[in-house]
Amino acid sequence: MSADLEFENLVKLYYGDLYRFGLSLTGSEADAADLTQETFYIWANKGHQLQKAASVKAWLFTTLHREFLKSCRRRNRFSNELIDERTEDFSNVPADCAERVDSQTLLRILGEIAEDFRAPLVLYYMEDLSYKEIADVLALPLGTVQSRIARAKIHLLHRLSETNLPLDHSK
Amino acid sequence: MNTREAKEILLLYRGRIDDSDPQFHAALDYAKGDPELGKWLQEQTKCYDLIRAKLRGFEPPLGLSEKIVRRRPIPFPRDWSRIGQLAATILISASVTMLLMKWSERRHLAVAGAQEILVTGEVLDMTCYIAYNFSGLDHAECARVCIKNGAPVGIKAQDGKVYLLTGQPGESVNAQLADYAAKTVTIKGRQSMRDGFAQLQVEEIRKL
Repeated sequence: MSADLEFENLVKLYYGDLYRFGLSLTGSEADAADLTQETFYIWANKGHQLQKAASVKAWLFTTLHREFLKSCRRRNRFSNELIDERTEDFSNVPADCAERVDSQTLLRILGEIAEDFRAPLVLYYMEDLSYKEIADVLALPLGTVQSRIARAKIHLLHRLSETNLPLDHSK
Repeated sequence: MNTREAKEILLLYRGRIDDSDPQFHAALDYAKGDPELGKWLQEQTKCYDLIRAKLRGFEPPLGLSEKIVRRRPIPFPRDWSRIGQLAATILISASVTMLLMKWSERRHLAVAGAQEILVTGEVLDMTCYIAYNFSGLDHAECARVCIKNGAPVGIKAQDGKVYLLTGQPGESVNAQLADYAAKTVTIKGRQSMRDGFAQLQVEEIRKL
C-alpha cells in the first residue's frame, strides 16, 4: 500500500474519534478541528518512528491530548473547577440524570471539570479503551486514572442532576 | 465483600468493554446475589450508555478528513540517496540565505524609504491563492489554519493588485492576521517592489 493511501486510510479510521475527543476536551468545534489536523500533521512527520502498528490509536490520542495541554498553557486557559466533596459519596450517585440533558449541556458541564480529570473521564465514556490503555494514553499510573475517573464521574453525575429540571418544571 | 465495596468497584464498570477485566469479576458475582445492587448496576450501565451515545453523537465538520489528507506534509525521505539530495538542498539553501543576509540590509533600507500607503482588501493565504486560486469565504477556514501555521500571507486590494504582507525584519505578521483570513481589512504599510512582486510592510491593521 502506498504511503499516501495508508495515510488516507488512517485519517478515515480515526479522525472522527479524535475530533470528538478534541471537542469534549475543548468544547469548541474550531479548536477540535484544529487539534485533529495538528495531530495528523505530527503523525505525518513522526509516525514512522512508532515501532508497534497496534499502538497507532493510542499514539494519536496521546498526541492530541498533549497538543491540547500545550494550547491550554499557551492561552493560560486551565479550568479552575475542583472536583466537589460529594465524590466520596458514590453510594448515592444519581443514575437517571443523563436522559433529559442535551449534548451541548453535557459538553458545557464537561468543560467545567478540571483538565486532569476531564481527559480520563472523556476517554472512559467515549472510547473502547481498557483502563490500562487510558493510563498509557495519558501517561499516568493505572490507579491514578481509575481514581480520577471515579471522582470525575460522580462529580459529573451530580452536576447533571443539578442541571436537570424535574419533568413537571420543564413543561 | 459488602454492597458498598461492590458499588465502589462497579462504579467504573462499563458493561461489555469491561467484561474481561478481572477487577470486576468478584463484584459482578456479588451483584448477582443482591437484587438491589443488581438494579443499581443496571441503572448505572444505562446512564453510562446514554452519556456515551451523546458524546459519540457529535459529527466532525464536513470535509475535515479531506482537508487533513490534502494538507498532509511531504514525508521525510529515509533512503540515503534522498538524504544526500536533502543535504545538497540544505547547502544550497544556506548559501542562498547568506546571500540574502547580505542583501537584507539593502532591502531594509529600500523598505525604510518606501512609500507609506493604505490598502483595503481581502486577506489571502498566498500559497493556496497562487497555487490553486483559492480565496473568499469558502476557503476562510483553510486560509486561517495556513496563515496560523506560517504560510505566506497577502492582501488582494480592491483594484485586484496583490501584495505580500511582511512584518518588520525578523518579525512575522501571521499571528496578527490569521483571524482576518478571507476578511476585508485596511492595512497601513510601506509599499515596495522586488522583481515584479509587490510587498507591503505592515504598520497597522484595521478591521472594517
